[in-house]
Amino acid sequence: MRRGPAVLVAVLACAGASRAAAQDSVFGIRGLGLLDRSVSAKSGALGGGFVLFDPAAAVNPASLAGWHATAGWAVGAGSFRSFDYGTGTSSLSATRFPVVGFAGAIGSKVVLALTASDYLDRNWSVQQTDTVSPRGTPVVANDNTQSAGGVTDLRLAMAYRLPNITLGFGAHILTGSTNTSVSRQFPNDSAFVPFTQAQTTDYAGVGLSFGALVSPLPGLVTGASVRVNGRLRASTTDTAADIPMPVEVNAGFYDQPVAGISVAGTVGWANWSRAAAALAATGQAPSRDVWSVGVGVEVNVLRLGRRQLPLRVGYRWRQLPFPIGGDSVAPGPALSEHAITAGLGFDTASGRATVDLGLDVGSRVAGPLSESFTTLYVGLTIRP
Amino acid sequence: MSAWRSAVLVAGLAGAMMGCREKLTTPSRCPELCPATKLEMADTLLPLADSADTSVRGFVLIREATYLLASTLDSLQAVTLIRFSAHDTMWTVSGTTLDSLYIGKQDSLVLTLELAQRDTAVKNLRLVIWRLPAQFDTGATYQSIQPYLADSTLVDTVAVPDTAQAGAHTFNIADSLPMQPGDSGYVSLAIGIVAPTKTALTFGSGNLSTAPLLSTYVHARAPFDTATDVFSVSPFVSLFVINPPATQPPPGILAVGGIPTARALLSLSLPKLVVDSTSIVRATLLLNTVGAVGGFANDSFYVVAEPVVRDYGVKSVLWPDSATSGIVLVHQGQTGQIQLDMAPILRFWGTTQGDSTPRLIMLRAYPEGSTIGAVNFSSRAAGAAGPQLEVTYVKPYSFGVP
Repeated sequence: MRRGPAVLVAVLACAGASRAAAQDSVFGIRGLGLLDRSVSAKSGALGGGFVLFDPAAAVNPASLAGWHATAGWAVGAGSFRSFDYGTGTSSLSATRFPVVGFAGAIGSKVVLALTASDYLDRNWSVQQTDTVSPRGTPVVANDNTQSAGGVTDLRLAMAYRLPNITLGFGAHILTGSTNTSVSRQFPNDSAFVPFTQAQTTDYAGVGLSFGALVSPLPGLVTGASVRVNGRLRASTTDTAADIPMPVEVNAGFYDQPVAGISVAGTVGWANWSRAAAALAATGQAPSRDVWSVGVGVEVNVLRLGRRQLPLRVGYRWRQLPFPIGGDSVAPGPALSEHAITAGLGFDTASGRATVDLGLDVGSRVAGPLSESFTTLYVGLTIRP
Repeated sequence: MSAWRSAVLVAGLAGAMMGCREKLTTPSRCPELCPATKLEMADTLLPLADSADTSVRGFVLIREATYLLASTLDSLQAVTLIRFSAHDTMWTVSGTTLDSLYIGKQDSLVLTLELAQRDTAVKNLRLVIWRLPAQFDTGATYQSIQPYLADSTLVDTVAVPDTAQAGAHTFNIADSLPMQPGDSGYVSLAIGIVAPTKTALTFGSGNLSTAPLLSTYVHARAPFDTATDVFSVSPFVSLFVINPPATQPPPGILAVGGIPTARALLSLSLPKLVVDSTSIVRATLLLNTVGAVGGFANDSFYVVAEPVVRDYGVKSVLWPDSATSGIVLVHQGQTGQIQLDMAPILRFWGTTQGDSTPRLIMLRAYPEGSTIGAVNFSSRAAGAAGPQLEVTYVKPYSFGVP
């Protein structure tokens, strides 16, 4: 029996359980949502520093060369958030699946992979209580505005191994939708009936990515990737908008200075300011270019029985492109995020399955607003 | 352990660790993290001048009402007429050598009435009881019955205690009410009232209420005249006659309730937008009264609007579901505008189930046929004073793109 298709079915079924998204955030209410991180549990535990070299992450197509046989993988992420809304805090939570993928080797030099990962997250729900005066009489109204969905990145990618260098190419399709709804309830007056209005927005776009991994010195690997995106078309039944998407550039290193210890770091940049004019045209605050930095260390000296037990720690920081509040003339405060990370991994089933666990604890800050989060990543890789 | 078994194990572990939680809703901080667009509401008044309306009396007839009425009001005079069933002339006795005993002497009579409504402010109220021919004309009118309401036929007048409240009350009437030879055991009574001030009284008729009961206490014939028994009979016929007689509501009037009960049928010519819209959060039918709401002092009753599912005019089939009806409580003496919630009916019409039903509603009193309460509304013929529909809706919300 060929197990490759079965693995694909398994990971896609897993993805179908929930749209890929690493984390939700109430800050996703602005712009195109929360820029997500398509990292594996391992990369997540390493602060994203390993993301350019991680074959399970959907960033650098050249990293797919890390697969030497057929493999399927999926990542689940449970997040707990605490949002400070000024007069109190809300405890929020969600379970998502940031990345799922399937890869297969063709000969000894080529690896093909299909991945589905989150690109933009638009899951949020905010509630307001107000007093309105229909018919001249004050009535308490509870308004709830919520969005579910986002933009998923489907990637068909290839890596090609050459001596001392690996090249990668990926073709991306951005797809997905959001179901946005607004409702009003009148808790204290039964004469009024609740109101609900909903809208579905579909997204479509394409992109290309290129990547390379070079090993200039023994134990040291450097990598870089560039992703060029076209326009993202957002359409409803009666209107549409085309938003230019950014060029994304990442560069990083991976080194093993001593046996059993690995260090990885990645710096990323994306010119989200390309979308500024289109967003401003819809009345939103313009987006900005953003940087991201991630570093991580993996210590691979512990053993659990006969299994190796790599321990990972990391730190990451990033800017997010969409200002919080304000408008096209006076944008609100910029949003940034940082987190410390940790995790471990182990093989099972005679090395045919790997389980990675990662913890991501951090906060997002935009001026006086803040949201803290804790995300637990669970990654499963199967090499049948 | 195979790879697949390990995978299932780990997947189960991961699922148990994370669960499938989804808690996204939070109060937000405005304006930074609130939607750029706010919901806006607006009101509009839809005149129903293009609609049709009619009103008909007689949906619950006097003989079908749950109450019997005695009244001395200037606006409504009424006398109750009851023909009680015949009681036996003998009774059986067990445990003796005798099988049966025959009535020898009538001792006393007790009339039991389930008082329903009265004006408790009126004191020294008395029931006036006349004897009627056993086979009185059930088509009698208030005028035709007058000759029988004479001193010669008076049986008794009994006091209604000033403290009497709703419920069963017994009244000892004449010590003897001789059985007429030709009456085959039937006893027919007319029951009116008298009081220092004009008032009214209702009591149960037996239709979904407790019927009057006439109890006769008897002795057996000699030599067994120490034996006694009680015969209780309920009405064979019960009704009341009123003055002035009931008439159909005049043109231009939408009558609801009264004697016999009236209903009003409104055909609403509503824009499709109003019926199909999910943005309507409140709809109210505005009805202007003509005169004051009638009924007992301080009494109240409901006016209910129900959708018609099959239009057969005044005999239309209603959809008697409280979830799809509008209801409002009206009070005796009330005047002015009465507001009746129409949102449940509009929602019903907006559903698949209700989209084929006529845009007709029936206004009726509730509970129907159990109160003398009545209210008259201006019809569409009254122009601006006619029925209107006030609609509160939420303006279309602009989500924007993206």
